[in-house]
Amino acid sequence: MPILVIEDEPKTGDYLQRGLTESGFAVRLARNGRDGLALAAEDEIELVVLDVMLPRMDGWQVLEALRANPATAQIPVLFLTARDEVQDRVRGLELGADDYLVKPFAFAELVARIRTLLRRGPVREDALIRIADMEIDVFRRRVRRGAVTIALTAQEFALLHLLAQREGQVLSRSLIASHVWDMNFDSDTNVIDAAVRRLRRKIDDPFEPKLIHTRRGMGYVCEAQPAGIA
Amino acid sequence: MKGRLRHSLALRIGAMFVLVVALAAAGLGTYLYRAFVAEIERRDDIQLLGKLRQVQILLGRPGAAELLHTRPEFFRDTMSGQENSLVRFIGADGAVLADINATGEPYPVPPAAGPAPQREAIASWTSRHGDPGRVVAGSARLDSGPLTVVVARAYGERSAMFARYRVRIAVAATVSALAAALLAALVLRRGLRPLHVVAEHAALVRPGTLAQRLEVAAAPSELRPLIDAFNAMLARLQEGYARLSGFSADLAHEFRTPVTNLIGQSQVMLAQPRTVADYEQLIASNIEEMERLARMIDSMLFLARAGQDEVVLAREPRDALDELRKIADFFESMAEERGLRLTCAGEGTVLADPALLRRALANLLSNAVRHAAAGSTIALHARQGAGTTELSVSNEGAPVAPAHLGHLFERFYRADSARSDAQGSTGLGLSIVRAIMDLHGGTAAVHADGGHIRFTLAFPAR
Repeated sequence: MPILVIEDEPKTGDYLQRGLTESGFAVRLARNGRDGLALAAEDEIELVVLDVMLPRMDGWQVLEALRANPATAQIPVLFLTARDEVQDRVRGLELGADDYLVKPFAFAELVARIRTLLRRGPVREDALIRIADMEIDVFRRRVRRGAVTIALTAQEFALLHLLAQREGQVLSRSLIASHVWDMNFDSDTNVIDAAVRRLRRKIDDPFEPKLIHTRRGMGYVCEAQPAGIA
Repeated sequence: MKGRLRHSLALRIGAMFVLVVALAAAGLGTYLYRAFVAEIERRDDIQLLGKLRQVQILLGRPGAAELLHTRPEFFRDTMSGQENSLVRFIGADGAVLADINATGEPYPVPPAAGPAPQREAIASWTSRHGDPGRVVAGSARLDSGPLTVVVARAYGERSAMFARYRVRIAVAATVSALAAALLAALVLRRGLRPLHVVAEHAALVRPGTLAQRLEVAAAPSELRPLIDAFNAMLARLQEGYARLSGFSADLAHEFRTPVTNLIGQSQVMLAQPRTVADYEQLIASNIEEMERLARMIDSMLFLARAGQDEVVLAREPRDALDELRKIADFFESMAEERGLRLTCAGEGTVLADPALLRRALANLLSNAVRHAAAGSTIALHARQGAGTTELSVSNEGAPVAPAHLGHLFERFYRADSARSDAQGSTGLGLSIVRAIMDLHGGTAAVHADGGHIRFTLAFPAR
């Protein structure tokens, strides 16, 4: 089922459509609220990404209309706003939105939020995660590559677990900071880079293939394929 | 009119002035009138008593009884100007011996007050025309025996005179009130002129002329507090305005560097065909610049909102050492890479918004890690005071000149003029720390001792 993007700003709409399509989603793009509502009612829409700063019919009205129509009332809505005032957020969530992102946002962050809302990970809740020759025993907090057991600090383990749970997904630095350290603000990004470098020294440096890859400008991804091919 | 009265000082003072003058004139007039009336009445009463006395004396003369029967008017006419006096003679048995009362005035007969009545014996009555009258009775002896003499008078003319007098007083009071109003207007116009001068000066204040001040020396003493306050306000505005415009200039400057990089490197790249790797390199570099811009915008918005107290605090008591350890944990890898050691010590409970507390500590640590000398130790310490909980971050690094210390919490202030752009610094970290402390009603302070520098956050206990 497709995702519906309602966005009037041409460049934003274009890159959202392109980026989400390339991330494996089917995407419908509406350039205004009315078209968006029509598409939502016609098609089987799985999720709506809604810009609240729309001309004429604004995002709040679209949201209300979506919730008022029984056919669309259950569709998860993620709204995008350039104003991160508290009352804006509260209003959106009160009107029945499920999540929001403040512009500017990292694209990887948007993809991660959409995946969370759709409850389709791939977030692996397994007790044992295997990627290539790496084995993570979540309960015992033990990591092995091949026959070698690797000792990790609690912090390193949490970081590796997060990356491995979302194998193949690019995770932004702010998402990593938020999940591993509960730091919910844009802080010094070098901190995350240093933490990943340290993890890599233990997990990747002595082994092949490399599992943790940098996506420059985006974040980090854990996967068996070498970077650049994916 | 009511609105104008409330809003115009001149009108208000003028109206009060006129009211005061009118009340004073009316009061004075009333007092003088009363005194005048009392005096006239006293004189009339004395005359009335004199008349009685004369009649009594006449009655004692030989042949008085005869005269009383034949020419009673004689008793009335003995006094000049007393033609309208009423006289009655009453015998011991109550019979009226003679009554001089041409118009038949119905005056009462008070009890006889002996041979020499005083003013207290005089009674009042009202004539047929409604004029006030006075009457007094006295005893006398005639050959045939004792008798009572009653002398009465109506004062019609006197009432008319009093009425005229009242009108005059009212006119005088009104005229003086009007004259006062006129004078008040003139005096107030002159008296309030300094206020107009102040207003004219104030009207000339523009963003560019905030350095000017109103003259205090020439102003009347009543206006000096106002002018002082106004000047103090100008000083504060000037300072705030200077900071704000300096801030926007800094902001524009800070934005210029990343934007220049974005434009320049993109144009250079596009000028020639490049490899895919080159393009990727460009885009990644652009993203880094733009992320820095985004962080700056985010920080700016936070500072703007904190400055207007629009940030809602969700304060919770937290274990101070616990919070320090969390932050140390976050920065551990980065510190390790630079050969730095992080230590946490102390104890206490800190009452703060956890997210903001972490943000403040993270900014301090980010700063410390950036400036600490390789191989040194960064010490995080918590101390529970009586009214405050202090969290401090100290590190060893290149000495910071004392001149810089006071400015470290200012936006975009960098002690080392070498830009630390490559490290992603926005130059706003420490000003955000101070804003967070302001929101909590606490303080952020910095102490330096050679290469040892310590930032201390003091959170109030309540």
